Amino acid sequence: MIFFFCLLVIVLAAQIVELFIPTLPWLYNSHIYIVPVIVFYGAMALPFPLMLALALYAGILLDALTVQVIGGKVEISMGWSILLYAVLAGIMHGLRPLFIRGRWEVHCILSGIGTSLIILAQYLMITFRRGSLVFSREVWWQIGGPGLIAMAMAPIIFWLLQWMGRMTAYPYLNERTRFE
Amino acid sequence: MNRTSIIALLIFGAILGYFLTFGPESTRRFKAGVYRVIAPFLTSGSGLQRQITSVRTGLKSLEQLERENASLQVENRELRATNKGLRDVEHEVNRLRHALNYRERSVFKLMAAEIVTRDSSTWWHTVTINRGKEDGIETDMAVVTDEGLVGKTTTVSEKISVVLLISDENCKVAASVEGTREQGIVSGERVTGGLNPLLDLNFLSKQADLKPGQKAYTSGVGGVFPSGLLIGAVKNFRVRELDGQAQLTPAVDLSHLEDVFVVTGRK
Repeated sequence: MIFFFCLLVIVLAAQIVELFIPTLPWLYNSHIYIVPVIVFYGAMALPFPLMLALALYAGILLDALTVQVIGGKVEISMGWSILLYAVLAGIMHGLRPLFIRGRWEVHCILSGIGTSLIILAQYLMITFRRGSLVFSREVWWQIGGPGLIAMAMAPIIFWLLQWMGRMTAYPYLNERTRFE
Repeated sequence: MNRTSIIALLIFGAILGYFLTFGPESTRRFKAGVYRVIAPFLTSGSGLQRQITSVRTGLKSLEQLERENASLQVENRELRATNKGLRDVEHEVNRLRHALNYRERSVFKLMAAEIVTRDSSTWWHTVTINRGKEDGIETDMAVVTDEGLVGKTTTVSEKISVVLLISDENCKVAASVEGTREQGIVSGERVTGGLNPLLDLNFLSKQADLKPGQKAYTSGVGGVFPSGLLIGAVKNFRVRELDGQAQLTPAVDLSHLEDVFVVTGRK
């Protein structure tokens, strides 16, 4: 449980840090997203109810800090990010046995894909509201770029969170024996 | 799936359903509440970021310093020479400034603000500023710099406000072009690849034939933006099937904003 609360604090801190990270001009102004990687780690490390709680928390934060209310209209209503996080975290949770066996490769790749899917879903939703579907090179890079960065960051973040799990005596190793 | 998971799923569904029913006003209130909670982190984070940036820019190699020193000495000699001439000009400028009484002429009440964070997400072009309801800021107030229009406030919490930049597709500004009777709507582009985005001035007449460099100002139509604020300069003009469209270079460098003014009213 301590580990879960640590994850909540880390998600909040990462969400705030994201606001200060400048975009990458050499990657078509792509943003760097850290929170999805943490949430996906939580999805694999936590039991199902806590995974849902983490997705709920991260989704609320994402909606509250990014979605804009302009001229009395909301382009993406509150709650959609929660749903997105829950679905993607649910998929990651399904691959939990593999993760517990120490096979992280698939999850690192999926973290990147999941990050890009969140941004793609946001883009499709705002496009639905604004009209005229545009898929230029910039759009693809702004969707795919953060995914690639998340993929590259995932092993380091996973390793740090794994280390933190051990420090907080999270009962991870017990489950490993159970799966083996 | 065990009983705990089913109960968790039901609770999750109920909370999700609750959030999905939020309308614009409840969303805005909720966002303002979250910003109120994290405002101390944002303001202290902004200060920390400035310190880190100043340290990073301050670190230079010996070779760089030598080069800089040599160029500064040359520059110093040049400046001494021009300084003599400028003393005469200064006297004249002071006289003219006094005559114009610039401050007295200004019709707006301006509230100075600092940029705390910028571009929080991929698809919305926003910045947050360190002013909020406590400073008299409200939703849909124009934000400017001495160079021109920056955007408008959207979500306002006690100490922090979100500003939607004119480079955002959703920030629509009624504009007129200097030296013509042309009027149109300025909006940003949905996706921009570079740091300096361009603006689109739509719904011009096909005969507008605007020339590069012509300036576009707010026309005051719509009520959010007062008239006469510089938006940008025409970069190019093209005729479309139904109307004319000009691309504008924003008057303000939106990628390097540090200090802005919120127009809180007229004097």
